[in-house]
Amino acid sequence: MFKRSALFFVICLLPACKQGTMEFDLDKAVSIAQKARQANRSIEEPEEIRMGSGIAANLLGTSPLLADDKAQQYINQVGRWVSLHTERPDLPWKFGILASTDVNAFATPGGMIFITRGLLQKLNNESELAGVLAHEMVHVLRKHHLAALQKEARLGIASDLLGEALKDNNSQVLEKAIKAGTEVYARGLDKEDEFEADRMGIVIATRAGYDPYGLPAVLQMLETGSAQDSSLALMFKTHPAPRDRLNLLDRAMGTRFDAYSAPTQTDKRFNSEVSQYL
Amino acid sequence: MKLIFGLFTLFWLATPACAEQTAYAVRSTEIKQQPYSDAATVARLNENASVSIVSRQGGWVRISSRAGNGWVKMLSLRGGSTATRRGDSGLQNLFNIGRTGSSGITVATGVRGLSEEDLKHAQPDPHELEKLQNYAVNKARAEKFAREAKLKSLPLDYLPSGGKP
Repeated sequence: MFKRSALFFVICLLPACKQGTMEFDLDKAVSIAQKARQANRSIEEPEEIRMGSGIAANLLGTSPLLADDKAQQYINQVGRWVSLHTERPDLPWKFGILASTDVNAFATPGGMIFITRGLLQKLNNESELAGVLAHEMVHVLRKHHLAALQKEARLGIASDLLGEALKDNNSQVLEKAIKAGTEVYARGLDKEDEFEADRMGIVIATRAGYDPYGLPAVLQMLETGSAQDSSLALMFKTHPAPRDRLNLLDRAMGTRFDAYSAPTQTDKRFNSEVSQYL
Repeated sequence: MKLIFGLFTLFWLATPACAEQTAYAVRSTEIKQQPYSDAATVARLNENASVSIVSRQGGWVRISSRAGNGWVKMLSLRGGSTATRRGDSGLQNLFNIGRTGSSGITVATGVRGLSEEDLKHAQPDPHELEKLQNYAVNKARAEKFAREAKLKSLPLDYLPSGGKP
């Protein structure tokens, strides 16, 4: 009871502060604030997916999909299989190869995962692909982008109200969230989130039957690249150095992954499904 | 003058061919006869020793070095050596071996996109998003795909964040 009166008191003060600067819908504010307390700042799955789709459409606006149905279907099968080994197997996971020659991979909230043609071209086998996709999936599982977005001060809405505002079908808020959400990809995530995605990603790929060293092999390949290489510029800017990532994986993995290996059939499949297109 | 130009051209052409697939050891490690921990030890590779990469198999890399030839754990190596690479020829695919016919491909018609500026000014492409939705596969199809390559699910817990020192 006391809490409710306190909330009402605060809300009564709000219009006074803001008077003259903007229109204020008191009923809506009360309803949003009350729901926000219940929701405990979380953005729920339907809103997460809606926002993720908007961000995905923006990413696709900067680079279209590679026009190759067979290769697109192939990575969707690899990705969907890997996704079954996560704690969110029922998300509407979707995978796309972007036509860009840049070397990078992206995940958007709600389970849309992208790898560029530039990166795919540098991979050697299905385990490396699975490792990259699993790393991206962790960003979705752990909601790293949503966390980055909720840290955003520029949204113009208190971060703990974002989830509720999105649920109210407020198209202006959604639009703002998508724009700010897309900009997160230019700045990158928290370094710790990237390390976490490596550490959890190798486990997810291994659970799906792949070689645990697929992702480390990709990092070793990236390590030989240079930040001056323009196709690597954004990836290097937005991620910790491959060497640091390898050092942490080295420590985390120890010898406990020595016994796992991928079936050789996956290598043959990768070479026939991917190499010829790129 | 012609001679100098010729020599310069020769040197320039020869450089990529000389680019060795090198790495160095981040710690002292055993070189094994086979890619297994319990395989016979061929020699010991000292910390910071340079090696040439021959191939990779799972967590193992086949190397040749002054100390000896054989297999070492992949994560006991880091790419490159003292050589630094600059410019767009930077990515030398040092570890990009084992996939035949794929190295050194140049893409004639590439879309770049995805720069920082591109992302800041991104405009949605709903048509491409629709295409993406249509490529999605269901669980049953993914499971069939896994069976075809004999991929099997394994139970495995996530790793603790700290790892062993």
